[in-house]
Amino acid sequence: MRTSEQRIAVSMKGINKRFGSVQALDDANLDIACGTIHGLVGQNGAGKSTIIKVLAGINIPDSGTVEIMGKRVERLSPSVVERHGVHFIHQDRLLVPTATVGEAVFLRHEPKFGPFIRRRLMDRQAAALIKTYFDIELDPGVLVQDLTTAQQKIVQITRALAQKARVLVLDEPTAALVKREVDSLFSVLRRLRDEGIAVIFISHYMQEIEALCDTVTVMRNGTDVGVVSPGETPVDKIIAMMINRDVGEMFPARQTKVGAPVLQITGYGRAGSFNNIDLEVRRGEIVGLTGLLGSGAKEIVRCLFGLQQPDRGTVKLENKLINIGSPMQAVQHGIAMLPEDRRAHGVALGLSVRENVSLASLGRYSQLGFMRRGSERSAVTDFIRELSIKTPGGETLVRNLSGGNQQKVAIAKWLSCHSKVYVLDEPTVAVDVAAKVEIYTLLNRLASEGAAILMLSSDLLELSDFCDRVLVVYRGELVGEFSGDALDSDHLLAASSGAQRNEGVAA
Amino acid sequence: MTTVHSTYSQDEAALEAAPPRVTRRKAIGALAIRLGAVAAFAAILIYLAIAAPGFTLPGNLINIVEQSAILGVMAFGMSMVIIGGGSNVTEGGIDLSIAANMGVCAAVYAKLLMLGYSDAPALGATLMVGIAIGALNAYAVVGLGILPLLATLAVMNIAAGIELTVTQNTVLSVSSRFLDFLSTSSAFGISALAGSLILASIIMIALVHFTSFGLRLYAVGGHPEAARAAGISASRYVMFTYMFSGLCAAISSVLMVSRLSSSTPGSGEMLLSVLAAALLGTVFSRRFVPTIGGTLLSVLFIGCLANGFQLLNVSSYWVNGVQGALILLVVATTSFARKPESGQ
Repeated sequence: MRTSEQRIAVSMKGINKRFGSVQALDDANLDIACGTIHGLVGQNGAGKSTIIKVLAGINIPDSGTVEIMGKRVERLSPSVVERHGVHFIHQDRLLVPTATVGEAVFLRHEPKFGPFIRRRLMDRQAAALIKTYFDIELDPGVLVQDLTTAQQKIVQITRALAQKARVLVLDEPTAALVKREVDSLFSVLRRLRDEGIAVIFISHYMQEIEALCDTVTVMRNGTDVGVVSPGETPVDKIIAMMINRDVGEMFPARQTKVGAPVLQITGYGRAGSFNNIDLEVRRGEIVGLTGLLGSGAKEIVRCLFGLQQPDRGTVKLENKLINIGSPMQAVQHGIAMLPEDRRAHGVALGLSVRENVSLASLGRYSQLGFMRRGSERSAVTDFIRELSIKTPGGETLVRNLSGGNQQKVAIAKWLSCHSKVYVLDEPTVAVDVAAKVEIYTLLNRLASEGAAILMLSSDLLELSDFCDRVLVVYRGELVGEFSGDALDSDHLLAASSGAQRNEGVAA
Repeated sequence: MTTVHSTYSQDEAALEAAPPRVTRRKAIGALAIRLGAVAAFAAILIYLAIAAPGFTLPGNLINIVEQSAILGVMAFGMSMVIIGGGSNVTEGGIDLSIAANMGVCAAVYAKLLMLGYSDAPALGATLMVGIAIGALNAYAVVGLGILPLLATLAVMNIAAGIELTVTQNTVLSVSSRFLDFLSTSSAFGISALAGSLILASIIMIALVHFTSFGLRLYAVGGHPEAARAAGISASRYVMFTYMFSGLCAAISSVLMVSRLSSSTPGSGEMLLSVLAAALLGTVFSRRFVPTIGGTLLSVLFIGCLANGFQLLNVSSYWVNGVQGALILLVVATTSFARKPESGQ
């Protein structure tokens, strides 16, 4: 870190922001100096993205002050912030797919003659900027949709530079890049830093933080818990700062009686997502699967749901090869699925609790195509009681239940058809603590009754304290398998952020 | 295809190998569609030139351009709406009320002239009515958040109702000095009607393809969030397109009244042609978005088709069928070509 009276580019003080019952930011502070690369790290839900959205003028804080280049900015809005020279490289590359490179770089700041765009000048300037900063030739006439992910990132950064950015905020910029692209991005960022630009770098990848950042602000539970220099503070110490230890005993004790393998995946691969994945889940076992955004973990689960198709590899269910071409086929094979976006895929909001529960197993309650209302109703009443779904009754619309109870309905749907394998995608996201505990208890019971459970999760505590075994995916490959004493959140975070490769394997 | 010329080692390029191949295949597919469309146009025109008696006579060709002026101005309005709303067929921009709006404007214009108003106030009122109906669309789509397909369908019915109320479903024959000027005057062998199409095309090309307004409008249609992130007020642009489309309906209603010397019921039937022209035009763009040049070509093509069918003594009802088939074909091929090949 170079000292000598650095100007403060961004100073956020005492920021509070509340969403409903959640205190997303709790007296958070962030100070960024000019000419530095400043890392922002924290677990999911720590408040990183909220504080960045406050700076971007997207979320309005409840209290607190923001200064940009020493000037207090009162009413933050995207255009005001941009006028102060703060530019954002969003994670989801916000570019118009049908625009050319030249157009994308200069959109809303087009070089003009009267009302007319000076198209040739615009293209020439765009190409020159890209050449200067990235040392590559990119035809300014190519459409954005035909660029690779890395090239689109380049266009986004060039766009900010074309507008004389003084603060550049990059949110997970490397998630979809390969190593050499990451390297060239880093050398550009270092160069920008040396030119005096303040760079805010948000990443889950601790290696990158270590390699790139001059200073790191660690966030936890909506507040900044420390500002450290990665040169002096080892990565595992930074990770320790990120993890929240004081959580009550919320996980039910597990008594595992592991039986024969139920779900076996061999050589699973999908171009650009994941490679050579082998995993198995046994009877009575709860296996966690985790990985950062873009690691490929999500895609593995999507393939098991039949939402995507793998290019290679086989899936065996109870030693029989199966083909999962569609979600329909997955259901026919007896795989119970709990998608992450339960509003879109997990439950039908407009139907009643009863209808949702019997949806996946209508066969059982129908005769000659007609529903046998009596048996359906009594089964549903049993489920409501067993799962302690908080609903006035079976006829209540699922829309009117809380998130946790909607999730329980989604699980009940599969209980009613006695599945052997449960594949869950973030089962406890956006669910309150009480409902979480109930979901854990329920999964626990399913496992003890012999179900094999595979759950994708990014909640480190849930993975380390609830699952029997956790598999970690990093950049498309299984890099770690943790169980027993080796299974703790530090190891998981380290493995999924690439700081540690394949240690603590206990078979 | 462009590639990154990087000085970095190529060893980890494996993960990256997939996208360029996919995009190249897509680009070739897009090119094939464009060339195929041009070839099909050319083939049909050549067939008409050979088979339809008198098709290539200068008088007939000028006739086609004149007939196309009314359709063309409306198709420009429709193109504008599709550019700003995006070419997604189900949720994107579309103005189904444009032909019915033209009918209302024609009725209002003819009625005012019949009531003895002079050209200027009648014209002004007509344009205001067109823009007002466009504003109703804009409010329904942007203000109320109704899908354009549904919102403009509803407005179409409102407009059709107004037209019937004004005209009592009769032909309102009118004449005025301005109408005489439009229907009889000509310069350099180009009639006023054909001239209006040329003038409208030039203005539209300048506005849509050469100003920053046009670029921003395309951005709004291409990816509204990205446009908003760039500081563009997407909803204002979308509202503008519907009002502009209403203005186009009003202008073409004046051309219509001058050509027929009356307002006649049934102008709502032009909707299919307008839609076909605007959608057909998208195949001429490598981005599969409407362009003014593409729309103009399609308008002339549809004009040729209608004219050729007449000369061939084919029932004009067939033209409707052909236009409907063209819409299906264009929407199917462009959405197929646009579809990303990966699962996400």
